[in-house]
Amino acid sequence: MTDELLMEAVKNGDLQQTSALFERYNKRIFNFLARLTMDRALAEDLTQNVFLRIIKYRNSYREGARFQSWIYQVARNVFSDHYQVHKNKFSDFVDVEKVSDSLYDPEESETMDEQEKILQRSMAKLSEEQRELLILTRFQHMKYEEVATIMDTTVANIKVKVHRAILKLREHYFELEKI
Amino acid sequence: MNRETLEMLLIDYIDGKLTPEEKLQVEQELVNNKDAYILYEQLKEVIHTMERSAKLEPTVKLKSSFDKLLEEEIQSTKKPKVIFFQPAFYRVAAAIALIVLGGGIGYWISKYQQQQQELADIRKEVQATKNMMMTMLDNHHSASQRVLGATVALKMERPDDEIIHVLANAMNEDSNTNVRLAALDALSKFNKEQSVRKLLIASLTTQKDPIVQIALIRILVEIRAQGAVKELQRITNDEESLKEVKDEAHAGILKLS
Repeated sequence: MTDELLMEAVKNGDLQQTSALFERYNKRIFNFLARLTMDRALAEDLTQNVFLRIIKYRNSYREGARFQSWIYQVARNVFSDHYQVHKNKFSDFVDVEKVSDSLYDPEESETMDEQEKILQRSMAKLSEEQRELLILTRFQHMKYEEVATIMDTTVANIKVKVHRAILKLREHYFELEKI
Repeated sequence: MNRETLEMLLIDYIDGKLTPEEKLQVEQELVNNKDAYILYEQLKEVIHTMERSAKLEPTVKLKSSFDKLLEEEIQSTKKPKVIFFQPAFYRVAAAIALIVLGGGIGYWISKYQQQQQELADIRKEVQATKNMMMTMLDNHHSASQRVLGATVALKMERPDDEIIHVLANAMNEDSNTNVRLAALDALSKFNKEQSVRKLLIASLTTQKDPIVQIALIRILVEIRAQGAVKELQRITNDEESLKEVKDEAHAGILKLS
């Protein structure tokens, strides 16, 4: 059964079907939020919120709309709502020092190579928007068309922004590498 | 090749998205330009590290919390909203109240529909008159006929006594508040007529329906019917009048003074 059909069933009152959608999407959404917030515990909480909203706002799901785009839009909203409340007004940069603590557990950190560690710290230095774009296109391998739908903009716009984000990432990466 | 163009092309080159011509361009640049080559190597490293980045695993808590959440949501949709009265007496009373209310609403709806029908009939008649008037005024008719039409039209400006009589009756006697209000509204349009003004003031003494009383007082103020002041004063002192009506009367006195 397609994601869309499952969601339509939920919309029609069969809430149990949300379980199937959870199976299919929880890891993706968790990854998206974890890399975006760079805080795993927080990401789990926010992921819960996403699925809660899927259920509570099931009536706002438009039949025929692509489910994946919708759930990611919900995830972005959950993230944005959280940061409306908790945002550090002076910067939307993550505290780089804390990154390795809250994103990777000790076991993972050991197996992770040096490159990946530097990458994570570089990601932390990007703006939220740039980080988000890279997560969607480069970590989650989403097509530009879909990202454009999720972020409600054009493909051309996404392309340009993703390129700029990669270039910025490279800058931070090789600065950090020198250290 | 300028730096910006190179940067954009390199990313697409690494992704394998360039046309053969573009590929050639880039490769030439890489061979000839040391800085370009360094940039290429760096971008490659960053992009590949992103590619092979590990998928993060959530804890088992995520699933268990979700299962709990789902269960709660399902339960909350199942439970109907029960208004539970204790003791049984109140439940019975509530049930009766609901039936009466339901019945009452039905009554008012049919009354409303009846009125709407009456109003519609009245409108049809008025329209017929107007149509007749306009036909008479039409240029195709002779001058004398047009004069006649104009006279009729003029006459319509001032109301027919018969019409006033009927409206006044309706305003004072009809059992239905809405009919009374409608009659009041129609009459008030003819407020320039002395007879109508007198009728409106007189109606104050006989009206007992507070809604109509208030509407009437407001209209009298609007048309500046000074003659109503005495009657308004009586109302403010009348024990039987509702507070809202008395307030309206009081305000009316102030405005008319």
